[in-house]
Amino acid sequence: MLAFLRKNQVPLSACFCLLLSIYILIAAARGQLKNEPLGALLMWIMRPLQIASQGAVNWITDFRENYDTLAGFRTENERLRQRIQNLEIERQKLLEAEATNRQLKQLLDFRSHLIPPGAITATIIANSAASWFQSCQIDKGSADGVRKGMAVVTPLGVVGQVVAVTPRAAKVLLLTDPNSGIDVLVQRTRSRGIVSGSLENGIVLKYMKRSEDVQEGDRLITSGMDGVFPKGLMVGTVIKVLKQHIGLFQFVEVLPAVQTPRTENVLVVTTDGGAVKN
Amino acid sequence: MRLFLLFFLVAIFVLLLQTTLLHLLPISPVVPDLTLVLCVYLGLYHPTVGAALGAFLLGYSIDIVSSRIIGLNAFAMSLVFLTVYLSSRAIWLQNPLVTSFVVLLASLVKGVALVLVSALFVSIEGFWIGAGWYIIKEALLAALLAPIVFALLRRGESYVNRFRAPAQ
Repeated sequence: MLAFLRKNQVPLSACFCLLLSIYILIAAARGQLKNEPLGALLMWIMRPLQIASQGAVNWITDFRENYDTLAGFRTENERLRQRIQNLEIERQKLLEAEATNRQLKQLLDFRSHLIPPGAITATIIANSAASWFQSCQIDKGSADGVRKGMAVVTPLGVVGQVVAVTPRAAKVLLLTDPNSGIDVLVQRTRSRGIVSGSLENGIVLKYMKRSEDVQEGDRLITSGMDGVFPKGLMVGTVIKVLKQHIGLFQFVEVLPAVQTPRTENVLVVTTDGGAVKN
Repeated sequence: MRLFLLFFLVAIFVLLLQTTLLHLLPISPVVPDLTLVLCVYLGLYHPTVGAALGAFLLGYSIDIVSSRIIGLNAFAMSLVFLTVYLSSRAIWLQNPLVTSFVVLLASLVKGVALVLVSALFVSIEGFWIGAGWYIIKEALLAALLAPIVFALLRRGESYVNRFRAPAQ
């Protein structure tokens, strides 16, 4: 028996890991997995690294965008180009500071529009590590007042919802994830539906009856009925409506209002429900 | 111990890359799955109990930073490790093309496992729609990167072993 165990210790340990993960999976699916000390430790280790790394990512993104803008000048003579590049480094720093300032000001204005007021400004420090899941991490956690279930928004619209919190960081499930679901209204007709992510089509409007009037270009806003997102926040714009010959519902594809890969700062709404002043 | 430290640091680095820098690639939302390549490497070249646990922890880490349901990736990675371990005795791995092929298959195993387990335990409506496209694209990317990652890992290992030899 002992010889058998010793001989097959690797496959047996792998099988044990499989069983353990199924156990964790079942516990998590039932909502019984409350404490994750390993997760908190990992996020604690990763947080400073991610902040530094995301800083580099933002710098590269901004640099690339500015580089594209300046591509037209590349045909000019060598002396001017050298000078432009030197100036660009200086300009880059200023643009970065200005863009951050503008974003934070927008967030501040937007925060004052939330009824009742209550939001935490946070920075996205990392994106999802897997293609299958659309999530990101923010640099604020329970120590800053962030709680599981809180809405995450920007002045442009809905970003997602907080699904896990550690003292100094939080995981946000994005609107584009297949697990997400947000109660929305079609702004023009006030028809209600659920917006959810999809691997195939970005985000889609679910459970919209064939008889409901939905057209391309219709704006979708939060209904406030889910008690998570304040009413009136922009969710996205309808870009495709397809009515099959059979079936109760029509297929509605939506373009998200917020493009998360291009978002740096967000607001975590600390108040339940509420609405947005117009 | 040094090898453990090497793989621990590599795992953190790979996870960091996957959550930040790799999102700059123009193939978003698909992210190259370097953790899978690392898991396959462990299964092929370090078939030990520690490596099996390492594969599990790799998946668990991805669950922590990305997935809403904890355990999905932990299961998939453990399955990949077991599959690679069981098939490794029959594979001659000196050719980079074979390495790529093994990683391609491992990625397909992981993708299918994720879809099946999601359907069984999490029952996310319509999760499987478009999954095929994701599985294939992720598998091809991982297969493409595998020879480079393997070469880097081998170099890292020989570097660690070089320092270990005089100590013994």
